Amino acid sequence: MFSKKVEQVKHLPLKIGEVARYVIVPGDPNRVEIIASMFDDYTLQGSNREFNAAKGTYKGTDVSVVSTGIGCPSTAIAVEELAYIGAEVFIRIGTSGAVENSVKKGDIFIATGAVRDDGTSKQYIPIEFPAVADFEVVTNLIKASKQLNIESKVGICQSKDSFFGEVEPERMPVAPYLDYKWEAWQKGGVGASEMEAATLFTLAQIKKLKASAVLAVEVSDEETVKKMTKMVLECIHIMEMERLNEK
Amino acid sequence: MKNDGVADAIGGLLDTYNDEKEAMQYHVQLKNGDVSDFVILPGDPGRVEFIAEHFDSATLVADNREYKTMTGKYKGRSVSVTSTGIGCPSTAIAVEELANVGAKTFVRMGTSGAMQDFTRVGDKIVATGAVRYEGTSVQYMPIEFPAVASHDMVAALVKASADAKLNYHTGIVQSKDSFYGQHNPEGMPIAAELKQKWEAWVKGGVLCSEMEAATLFVVGSYRRLRTGAVLLVAGDQARGESLTKEEYKQNMTESINMILESSLDIEEEK
Repeated sequence: MFSKKVEQVKHLPLKIGEVARYVIVPGDPNRVEIIASMFDDYTLQGSNREFNAAKGTYKGTDVSVVSTGIGCPSTAIAVEELAYIGAEVFIRIGTSGAVENSVKKGDIFIATGAVRDDGTSKQYIPIEFPAVADFEVVTNLIKASKQLNIESKVGICQSKDSFFGEVEPERMPVAPYLDYKWEAWQKGGVGASEMEAATLFTLAQIKKLKASAVLAVEVSDEETVKKMTKMVLECIHIMEMERLNEK
Repeated sequence: MKNDGVADAIGGLLDTYNDEKEAMQYHVQLKNGDVSDFVILPGDPGRVEFIAEHFDSATLVADNREYKTMTGKYKGRSVSVTSTGIGCPSTAIAVEELANVGAKTFVRMGTSGAMQDFTRVGDKIVATGAVRYEGTSVQYMPIEFPAVASHDMVAALVKASADAKLNYHTGIVQSKDSFYGQHNPEGMPIAAELKQKWEAWVKGGVLCSEMEAATLFVVGSYRRLRTGAVLLVAGDQARGESLTKEEYKQNMTESINMILESSLDIEEEK
């Protein structure tokens, strides 16, 4: 990625080797410490722009948490640089809006794929390519949610670039276009609407990494973030145990 | 008498609704009760009988155009097999009409061409998603929507593959409309586009190329059906390899048995 091997990447406050194999990626830099506080131990590694980083351990496994900022452009930068310094498994924790009627406020949603309503992923691969989450990560997120008795729904999310285009489409010059697409996502069975998954999944596929996302529907309180973190940490623990077994 | 117009209109609407559920489906020539909730979808009608030979019992229920259907039992579970013909247009018709008469789970069983160094002839690909390089699914959903298989179906297929100790991979496959556009891109007026996209799919980690999965997954999402696909790698353009007739038959049997075993993990819906 860089013309010669560099130690310190351009945007993240991190060097080669300073990230764990497993990295949790929230959007909000302020959530990094909330998420890290659920680890068994952690160190704050600093911040630059919207990228805030911490690293620690959970049940003996190294885990990182790095914020991506809002949107696919900054997410792509974070994923590229995290992969460069050694991350392999990416699990997004985020909030979302409900799309389909069966998805309700307060639901925890595990994404198997994402609608590529973003601009970034198209600068990687043609639009026909599906943004699909990693099968193993999704399977273990479901397993973790069952073990912790956290109810979850599984399905496709939509990744958009314009937040206000979703919440106030009527005031946009392209209102009819936004309405027509939204209706298609509803009919097509999209569960949740957010802003980063499509690029995360597309890049992960291209760069042979593993990724999925856990999304809270229309709630963003600290307790919900901690509940999602518990699920994700347990998923990471299961994945690491399985990896060690295979070795 | 005055209100007959309205009554007729309402009656007409109800008839249409009931027709959809009860009537003989136009292309597949099936009605309610003819098919299981679990349907295996090969492309080739000539493969239907061979697939049904692996059931414990099977009866031919319809045979029209490229759509041939047999229904029977496997280890006490009801199962059907319906051929889709080649390509997404005829596949969409099959899936829609099968869903109209009660099918809920669809597993495509087909052949494909290898796209990666590590996907070799004889390998089984369990698709988690499909590249929508075809014209049918975009007449259902905008192109940004991902063609994704159902997670529980993929999980059941993976488990059955692992239990049978098959060489299998999970990942994304490519669905195209033009068979010869893949096999002879140079001969096509849009050669540059075909080659450029192919290279992008290969770099993107796409495992194999086939012609029906993308539409199956998209129509499945829209109609809230459970979908999956198992693609046998039958050819490898880059290496110039293909299965012999005997190997092909053996590998088909492995794919069929794997799908039938996976059906036992899917709760039967009447």
